[in-house]
Amino acid sequence: MNAPDNLERRARALYREASRQIDPATAGKLRAARREALAAAAAPAHARFARMLVPAGAFAAIAVAALMVFSPRDSVPLPPAGAAQTLEADGDLPPDLSNTDPSLMQNLDFYDWLATNDASQASR
Amino acid sequence: MESADVRSDEPDDSAMNSAVSTLEAELLANDVQAVPTSLDAFLAQVERRAFRLAEMSLGHREDAMDAVQDAMLRLVRNYRDKPAQEWTPLFWGILRRRIVDLQRRRKVRSIVVGWLGGGRDDDGDELPAWEPADNGPGPLDRLQDAQSYEDMAAAVRKLPRRQQEAFMLRVLEGLDVAETAQAMGCSEGSVKTHLSRAMHNLRDQLEDWR
Repeated sequence: MNAPDNLERRARALYREASRQIDPATAGKLRAARREALAAAAAPAHARFARMLVPAGAFAAIAVAALMVFSPRDSVPLPPAGAAQTLEADGDLPPDLSNTDPSLMQNLDFYDWLATNDASQASR
Repeated sequence: MESADVRSDEPDDSAMNSAVSTLEAELLANDVQAVPTSLDAFLAQVERRAFRLAEMSLGHREDAMDAVQDAMLRLVRNYRDKPAQEWTPLFWGILRRRIVDLQRRRKVRSIVVGWLGGGRDDDGDELPAWEPADNGPGPLDRLQDAQSYEDMAAAVRKLPRRQQEAFMLRVLEGLDVAETAQAMGCSEGSVKTHLSRAMHNLRDQLEDWR
């Protein structure tokens, strides 16, 4: 801008003077408004966080509900039927401890003796 | 009688000139003030001027207070992390938009009152457009240069909105062209055009200020 002319200088001076001459009641309201604005920005750190929690919670609930509805309960891949039979038929493999009745595992010596006895009687 | 009138005017002019020169010195001092580092200090520095500017645009103290309060809140809430150098154009830009919002709202209210039959009196004559009552003490009650300020405010209020904004931000508030353009949301060229037209109109209206 060029050098301010008389009108500009005078207008600005009047404006500044009018701003200084604000009545105490209005000045008090302005101060209160400023404090309120600053407090509103300072306080709501947790309030804003809480506001964010609502949609986050809703999203989580929807996600859980969706998981329950479309849960792939039956889609756990089972071993093919043929494979199980093959394993059972294969007598050379050690017994599968996890699938065997635990009571059978307690008297292994007896079963061994029984099997040997059966075999000897059969040979007679 | 005439000579008495002339004599009575003379001291006012000289008082006005001395007030202006004193204020000019203060303005120079203000212009070299450091940018406030806290939002509190920044708002404390601009709040009164913001109120006067809003009041000049809206012609209503309560509306002006609402506009300033809202502008403060929005600045603090949305831009407190911005560098301090950016607060000035941001704040005046927010205030400008709030003033425009309030002017539009008032216009709508005026139209609604007209539709509801409030626009005409019993004789069928048109009533003035709806204006909110303003019973608070005006700036003129305390201002020594009351008449001059009132003349200027009235002349500024008659300007088209964009000219008003350019004059108030650039001349009264002393923002540079780039800051004014940012606050007005337009190009620097537009600011210069609006300001040039505003000054032309104001010189016509305030001829006795020359």
